[in-house]
Amino acid sequence: MKTYIAQRLGIAVLTLFGMSVVIFVLLRLAPGDIVDVLFSAAGYVNPSEKKAILQELGLDKPYWRQYVEWISQIFVGDLGKSYRYDLPAWQIIKPLVPVTVELAILSTIISVVLGVPTGVISAVRQDSTLDYALRVFSLAGLSMPSFWLGMVIILSLVTWLAWIPPLTYVSPRENLWLHAVQFMLPSLAVGYRSSALIMRITRSAMLEVLREDYVRTAWAKGQNERVVVWRHALKNAVLPVVTVIGIEFAFLIGGLVVTETVFNLPGVARFLVEAILWRDYPVVQNLVMFIAIVVILSNLVVDLLYGVLDPRVRYAK
Amino acid sequence: MAVRPIGAEIELTAPARVAVRESLAATVSRFVRKKPLGAAGGVLMLIMLLTGVFADVLATHDPIATDASATLAKSSEAHWLGTDHLGRDIYSRIVHGARVSLIVGIGSTILGSVLGGIIGLLSGYAGGKTDLIAQRLLDILQGLPLLVLALVMSASLGPSIPNVIIAISIPIVPRAARIIRASVLSIREMQYIEAARALGLRHLRIAFRHVLPNTIGPFIVLCTAQLGAAILVEAALSFLGLGVPEPYPSWGRMLSVSAAEYAQKAPHLVLYPGFAISLAVFGSNLFGDALRDTLDPRLRGA
Amino acid sequence: MRPRTMTFLILALGLTGALILEGAPAVGQAAKAGGVLAVAQREDTPQGFAIHESSTVSTTWPAMPCFSNLVIFHPLKQQESVDTVVGELAEKWSWQDNYRNLVFFLRKGVKWHDGQPFTSKDVKFTFDMLREAPDAAGKLRINPRKDWYANVQTIEAPDPHTVIFHLKRPQPSLLLMMASGYTPVYAAHIPPAQYRTACVGTGPYKLKEWRKGEFIEYVKNPDYFVKDRPLLDGIRYIIIKERGTRVAALQAGQVQVAFPGDTSKTAAEQLKKAVPQLVITRAAENVNENVIMNTKRPPFDNLKARLAVAHVIDRRALNQAVHQGGAAIGVSMPSRPWGVWGVLDKDMIAMPGYGKPIDEKGRARKLMAELGYGPDKPVKVEIVTRAIAVYVDMASFIINELKQIGIDATLKQIETAQWHAMATRGEYQIGANLTGVGIDDPDANYYENFACGSPRNYTFYCNEQIGAMFDKQSAEIDPKKRLALVLEIQKKLEDEAARPTLTWRVDNFTHWPQVKNLVPHNNFYNYGRMQEVWLDK
Repeated sequence: MKTYIAQRLGIAVLTLFGMSVVIFVLLRLAPGDIVDVLFSAAGYVNPSEKKAILQELGLDKPYWRQYVEWISQIFVGDLGKSYRYDLPAWQIIKPLVPVTVELAILSTIISVVLGVPTGVISAVRQDSTLDYALRVFSLAGLSMPSFWLGMVIILSLVTWLAWIPPLTYVSPRENLWLHAVQFMLPSLAVGYRSSALIMRITRSAMLEVLREDYVRTAWAKGQNERVVVWRHALKNAVLPVVTVIGIEFAFLIGGLVVTETVFNLPGVARFLVEAILWRDYPVVQNLVMFIAIVVILSNLVVDLLYGVLDPRVRYAK
Repeated sequence: MAVRPIGAEIELTAPARVAVRESLAATVSRFVRKKPLGAAGGVLMLIMLLTGVFADVLATHDPIATDASATLAKSSEAHWLGTDHLGRDIYSRIVHGARVSLIVGIGSTILGSVLGGIIGLLSGYAGGKTDLIAQRLLDILQGLPLLVLALVMSASLGPSIPNVIIAISIPIVPRAARIIRASVLSIREMQYIEAARALGLRHLRIAFRHVLPNTIGPFIVLCTAQLGAAILVEAALSFLGLGVPEPYPSWGRMLSVSAAEYAQKAPHLVLYPGFAISLAVFGSNLFGDALRDTLDPRLRGA
Repeated sequence: MRPRTMTFLILALGLTGALILEGAPAVGQAAKAGGVLAVAQREDTPQGFAIHESSTVSTTWPAMPCFSNLVIFHPLKQQESVDTVVGELAEKWSWQDNYRNLVFFLRKGVKWHDGQPFTSKDVKFTFDMLREAPDAAGKLRINPRKDWYANVQTIEAPDPHTVIFHLKRPQPSLLLMMASGYTPVYAAHIPPAQYRTACVGTGPYKLKEWRKGEFIEYVKNPDYFVKDRPLLDGIRYIIIKERGTRVAALQAGQVQVAFPGDTSKTAAEQLKKAVPQLVITRAAENVNENVIMNTKRPPFDNLKARLAVAHVIDRRALNQAVHQGGAAIGVSMPSRPWGVWGVLDKDMIAMPGYGKPIDEKGRARKLMAELGYGPDKPVKVEIVTRAIAVYVDMASFIINELKQIGIDATLKQIETAQWHAMATRGEYQIGANLTGVGIDDPDANYYENFACGSPRNYTFYCNEQIGAMFDKQSAEIDPKKRLALVLEIQKKLEDEAARPTLTWRVDNFTHWPQVKNLVPHNNFYNYGRMQEVWLDK
C-alpha cells in the first residue's frame, strides 16, 4: 500500500510539472501582456514606458528563465506578486478560496442529496413513468447552461420580489440567514447540474447490483424490499458513485466560473477569468496549479477509496 | 457486401462482429419502441440538424440586419419571436444560431474525439512505455479544468469560428482517448487478435483493421455525449465574450450583456436562446444515452 | 517678483471673482448627516487610486473621494465651463501677463490623511511629475496626460502656500484641465507607485478597505478642510461585473447610485417603470463614438474613400439603432446643450453625413464610383472593434451601411489587451472606436486625437495647417475669437473625414431619491468627489 501511494505521488508530481509547463506556455501564447492591458486602461501606448514596466516586472527576461524563477519561487513558498494589484498573489487569493470551497462543497452536497435518492428510486422502479419523469427532470438539469439558470433566477427574483441576494460577501458570523441565502441559490444552480450525472451513475450502478445473484437471493428469501435495496444494493453501488463525485468535483470549476460571475460571488473561479483577461501571469499560473493539485489529490483519494472499498481491487494488487 | 476473393487471410481479417443485416427501417422502429426517450432525443437532434442545414430557407429575416424602428419588439406576425435591442429578428438568429452551434459542436467533438481516439487506440494497443507516457501527457491535459483550458486557448488564438472549434476540442482529446483506450484494452486480449498476430500481420494493420472497428460503438456514444458538452462550453465562452465572434449569431452570446440588461422589458431575449441551447443539449444527451444502452451495455456505468 | 506687482496682484484678485466653495447649502432642504452610500462600480479599478496613471472612469469614479484638486468644477452645476470653476486646495487664483502665468494661493491648515501638512511642495511635486520636468522628484510609470502640461515652462513655489505656473505661451484652458477629476494633487512624501495599492489624499473621505474584486470602502474624513463636510459617514463602491446583475442591484436598492455611463435609455425606462421614484438625469459623458480610418493603408489612404464612409453612415439612424435615440449628434466637439464648443445645427447639416440620408448616400456612392467601386464591385475591408457589446453593435450597424456603397466589411473583434497596441501600430484599415475627453475643451481633444504624431492619433492624420490652428486657438484669450477658430477647425476636420464622429454618448444617470446633491455633469470624469452628497433617510 505504501509503495502504491508513493508511486502515485511520484507520478502526480511529474504530472504537475507537465501541467506547469503547459499553462506557462499557453499563457505566453496569448497575445498581449499585462503592460498592454495597463496601457489600454490608460488609453494610449508609450514604447519607452512600456519597456520600463516590462523590465520592472521581469517580463523582458527569456522565457526559460521566467519559468525557472517561477518554479523555484514556489518551492520556497513565494507565490509571486500580482501584476495587476502589485500585492503578493497569495494575499489576494486567500480571501477568495473559502468562498469557492464553500460553494463547491454545498453544490456537491446538493447534487448528492438530489442525485442519489432519485437514482435509487429510478433504478428500483425501472422503466416506470416515475423513472422516465425523474430521468427527464434530471437530464434537463444537465442540459441547461448553468449561467442561464443563474440569470433566470436573479431576474425572476428582481421582477417578482424586487430583491436580489447580497452582492458582497456576507460572512456567516455577520448574518447567518443572509449568508445562507447568498450561497444557497448558486449552489442549487450548480448542484442541480451535477446531480444529473450522479443520478445517472447511481441508477446504472443500482441496476447492475439489483441483478446480482445475492440480491435475487435476498428477494427470494422474502426480505423486506426496502432493506434489500438500501442495505445491500446501495452499499455496493457506492463505489462508482464515489468515483463520479470525485470527477464531478473537478468539473465543478467550469460551472463555478459562470455562476460566480452571474451571482457576483467573490470566489476563485471568477477571479481566475479576470486574471486571464488581465494576463496576470503569477495569479493565473498559481491558481491553475492550485486547482490542478486539488484535482490530482481528489483523484488519488478516490483511487485509494476504491482500494479500501472494493476488496477485488485490494487483493488484485 | 462486395464480392471478395476467398482466402484464409481474408476470413481471419474480416471484422469479427458480424451484424445481422436487417433493414434500416426495422432497426429504427425497434429503437423507437425500446427506447422512446432516446428516439425523442434523436428527433430533437434531427430538428436541430435540419434547422442548421436549412437555416437560410427557414429564417424569415437576415439574422444580422438591424432595424432601428423595431427594437425590443414582442412576437408578432412580422417577427415570430420578437426582436432584440438592435431590431434583429430573434427567430432568424436562433435558426442561424443552430447552424453555428452545430458547426462548432460537431466540429470540435469530431476533431477532439478523432484525435483523442487515435491517441487512445495507439496508446492502448502499443501498451508498455508508450502507453504510460501517453497516459501521463493526457493526465496533464485533463487536469486543467475544461472551461479554463478553453478560455486560455480562446484568448491565445483569438475569436473566430475555427479557433473556437480548436479551443473546445482540446479538452475533449484526453477524455476521448481514455474511453477508446479502455475499449481497446479489452479487445486487445481477444483470441482473434492473437490469431491475427500469429499469422504475422503487422501491428498497425491489426490496430486499424480489427481493433478500431470494434471501438466504433463507444466512439459514437462518446461523440454524442460530448456534443452536448461542446455546445454548453461554446455557450459559456460566448457568454463570457470569448467565443464565436460577431456577426455570427451564437446562442450563448445572445444571452450575454444586452439580454440581461433588457430582460425585464423583453424577457424573450433571455428565454428563447436559453431554451434553444437546453433543447439541443437535452436531445443530444437523451439520444446519446439511448445509443449507449443499445450499442454497448458494458458502458452503462461510464 | 517686484513688491509693487505683488500688491497689484492681491488687489486684482478681488476682481478675478474667485469662488470659494465653503459648502454650498442644499437647495430646499436642510442637509442631514450620516449614512453609508452604496454605489455601483462596473469593474475593479484598473490602477487602484493612481488617477494619474489611468484614463478610465473606472478609476476616477471610485478614487475621487480620496483626493482634492487645486480647483474643481462646481459639483452642483451640470454644465461645466470656466465660470463654474471653484477652489478646493486653492483659495484664490489669478491669471497674469495675458494668461501666461497662473498663480494659486493655497489653503492653510490642510492635512493629508496620514496627518502630514499640505503645502505648495506637494503641488510642485505633482505637476513637475506630470509634465516630466527634468528635475522632477516623482515619476509616473504611465503618464497619459503628459501633453496637457506641455506648455508649462516652470513651476515655482515661493512659499508654502503659493504656487506659480509659468507658461511658454498663453493657454486659458490650463485652468480647466486642473479642474478635471483627472487632476488630483498627490503627496510629495508618498511614492507615486503607492497610489496603486492605497490612497493618501486630502479629500473628504479616507480609504477604509479595498477588497479586491469585491468593493472599495471609504469612511468620512474628520479633518476635512471644509467645515461640516462631508455629510455621509461612508461610501461603498460595490463591484458588479455583470450588466444584468448591476441593473437588478439598482432596481432592488442594493446600490443606490448607478455607475456613470452605465444606464442606457431602455434600461432607464425599464428601471423607471419598476421603481417610479428613481431619479434619472440625462447627462452627457463627454465620450464620443467615432470611426477611425487608417490614412496609411488602402483603401482609406484615399480621401474620397474616407469621405464616402463619412457620408454614408446615417448618424441619426445609428443613434436610434444602437442607443434607441438616447445619444446626441455632434461633430468633433459636443454641441449644446451638452458642450459649449459645438457647431450649430444649421452648419452641421452641411457637413458630410449630416444631411438628408438619401442625398448623403447618393454622394457616398458617387465617391466610391469614382474610385471604381460599387455594390456589384465591392472592395473588401476588415473593420476592427473591441470585443465589447456596445462597440460590436456600432460596428454591426456600420457594416450594414457600408454594404450599400460597395464596401464589404467583415468584423474582427480585438481583445482589450491588444486594442491600443494594435491601433497605435496602425494594424487595421477601419475601426469603430470610443474616445473620452477629460474636459469640454478643444485643447484636451485636439492635441490628443488629431495632432501630427500624437500617440492617440490612431488614424495618422497629419495636417500642419490645422495643427497651427490648434496652437492659435489654444493661445487665444478672447473667448469669442477662440470659439470662431474652433468652429472653423471643426468644419475642416469633417471636410477631411479626419475621424468622423458618430454620436456623443448621453448617460441616463440614475439614483434613488434619498440620495441628495449628487448632480451628474456633462462629463462623467468630473463629478465623483461626493463632498456635497447626503442621504435623506
